[in-house]
Amino acid sequence: MTRDWWKHLILILGVIVVIAPFYMMVSYSFKSPGEIDRGEGGFFGRQELMVDERCVKLRDPNRDDIAAAADRFPGQSDSQIRDALLAEATAECSMRPVVFNYTKAFTEAPLLRYLMNGVIVTASIFLIQVVVALPAAYALAKLKFWGREAVFGLVLFCLLIPVHAIALPLYIMLAKLGLTNTYAALVVPWTISVFGIFLMRQFFMTVPDDLIDAARMDGMGEFAIVWRVMLPTAIPALLAFAIFSIVAHWNDYFWPRIVVTGNRDLFTPPLGLREFKGDGDGSFFGPMMATATVIVTPLIVAFLIAQKRFIEGITLSGMK
Amino acid sequence: MTAIETTLADRAQRPVTDHASKERRAAWALTAPALILMVVILLAPVLIAGLLSLTNYSLGNSGFDWVGARNYEKLFTRSTYEKMFVATLTYVVTVVPISVGLGLGAALLINSLGRFREIYKTIYFLPVMATLLAMAIAWEFMLHPSIGMINQTLAMGCGTFLEALWPFMAESCADRFPVWLGDKRYAIWVICFIGIWQGFGFNMVLYLAGLTGVHRELYHAAEMDGAKSAWERFRLVTWPALGPTTVFVVTISCIRAFQVFDTIEAFWPQGGGPNKSTYVMMFAIFEKGVQQNLIGIGSAITMLFLVFVMFLTLIQRWLVERKVHYK
Repeated sequence: MTRDWWKHLILILGVIVVIAPFYMMVSYSFKSPGEIDRGEGGFFGRQELMVDERCVKLRDPNRDDIAAAADRFPGQSDSQIRDALLAEATAECSMRPVVFNYTKAFTEAPLLRYLMNGVIVTASIFLIQVVVALPAAYALAKLKFWGREAVFGLVLFCLLIPVHAIALPLYIMLAKLGLTNTYAALVVPWTISVFGIFLMRQFFMTVPDDLIDAARMDGMGEFAIVWRVMLPTAIPALLAFAIFSIVAHWNDYFWPRIVVTGNRDLFTPPLGLREFKGDGDGSFFGPMMATATVIVTPLIVAFLIAQKRFIEGITLSGMK
Repeated sequence: MTAIETTLADRAQRPVTDHASKERRAAWALTAPALILMVVILLAPVLIAGLLSLTNYSLGNSGFDWVGARNYEKLFTRSTYEKMFVATLTYVVTVVPISVGLGLGAALLINSLGRFREIYKTIYFLPVMATLLAMAIAWEFMLHPSIGMINQTLAMGCGTFLEALWPFMAESCADRFPVWLGDKRYAIWVICFIGIWQGFGFNMVLYLAGLTGVHRELYHAAEMDGAKSAWERFRLVTWPALGPTTVFVVTISCIRAFQVFDTIEAFWPQGGGPNKSTYVMMFAIFEKGVQQNLIGIGSAITMLFLVFVMFLTLIQRWLVERKVHYK
């Protein structure tokens, strides 16, 4: 242990650099604008009550409000009532910075909608990938047919093509079909995962033939075999693939940026955050960092819970 | 007699051929969706990009002209595209060796530890998981010229021995600290730094997996042969054993580095950084092809990009097939 102190020193320096932006992101999401500007308040900020100026302005009492409130303040002049109402508004509009930042994150932009879109898109991509890749992988691994080598060769060739690289022709095809700014545009290019086919094929090669023969004896068709025999044996590999796929598409920014323009209803979380940044006049650092924290958290938490599986899943491509 | 024989043989064979043809039909039915999607989504776009790169097509126009290799000519003559190649290559050539080196270093250090291995591993892997766009915005705040954590930390070094040791500190303390993202001298290096920050944990994990495959006996054998120092042991045993991992790590790092986009678009939505110093290929494809609707030139960049990436992967496959062993 004592011999190793220099190793720990180096690694801890590394940890500081790696953690710094996370630390800052979460810390800013707790602080008031003033504290961010002046760089004070430690990690959590002082959490003093702050007044949301915009909220107060919105509640600025007009003549009707004052007339309506006259009952509650008997025997006072209009200006006194007005002051009392303003004081009430200020009291109700003041809150802890952390509450302010996170409520703003969800109310200034439809963040919940963005998160939902993220879930819908990543889930549909993964499901379709499995539905397409699993039968193909089974056929390539276990069935003998003329042309099998050619199909597998095609799979190996397609592994060379990163989808991001052919984004432009894909975008043109979708635009010609009138599909830009739809969920379909977000999902379609990812429906085929050659990597998924390759991976599942390698996995199915290790499944004993006897299992499949027994299923055929029982009168199962090939489709039934894929879903009722092969799928259950493939759960561990599928889980790793799920993590690989979900992490990639939850975090993807390039493709949604290309096919979704302006239509907020289709924004995925990274697009939403990007728009937030474009709007911000600088005083909105707190809510923006709250948004960033909300977007990053689900995967980080899942990762911390199931580290082994995640590392396996993300480094899957290492199994090639 | 022969007729009877053939019918008998037929009868014996029919179930087999029946079964075989059934299997064949099932196989095609099972692969058809994947096959169709592969052709439509992966192969067709490559062809389309290849064809469009020879035209002056724009979305919304009904027709187009064939312009031959003029788009490619532009790529190799205009200074904008020269900047694009410089930025892309600078990024790849910087990020790949450093992130691979740091990944290997971290893996070796962590692997030699008895305790806290998991904690380091987890922390170094965090950036790989996090949404890069969100982290880019966090970095943007860190790099903020006045309230950013980086310049504030650097400013603490003012008036200390660091000023004497490091000319950069002396200059900055006397004048002011860099505007990082607004300065064409620093912009690309900041992007490189974030790329390394994000990617080295991934390489580390792959190397850690590779290290578990190195046999203990090999070290004993090397020691017997007189490899006394840690460096000798690394050179003779660890490095050759990690050969296949290194080939893979370098290739995947290259491919990822070529695709850098998120950070650049987040920092400079228009134009690719100060003086186009961070105008990388992915951003060029996005700006020319999608935003400015210059499909011809965008497709030409796409084709070039594909050539680079395919070339890299083929080299990797070739190396793997030779069963990489460094002597």
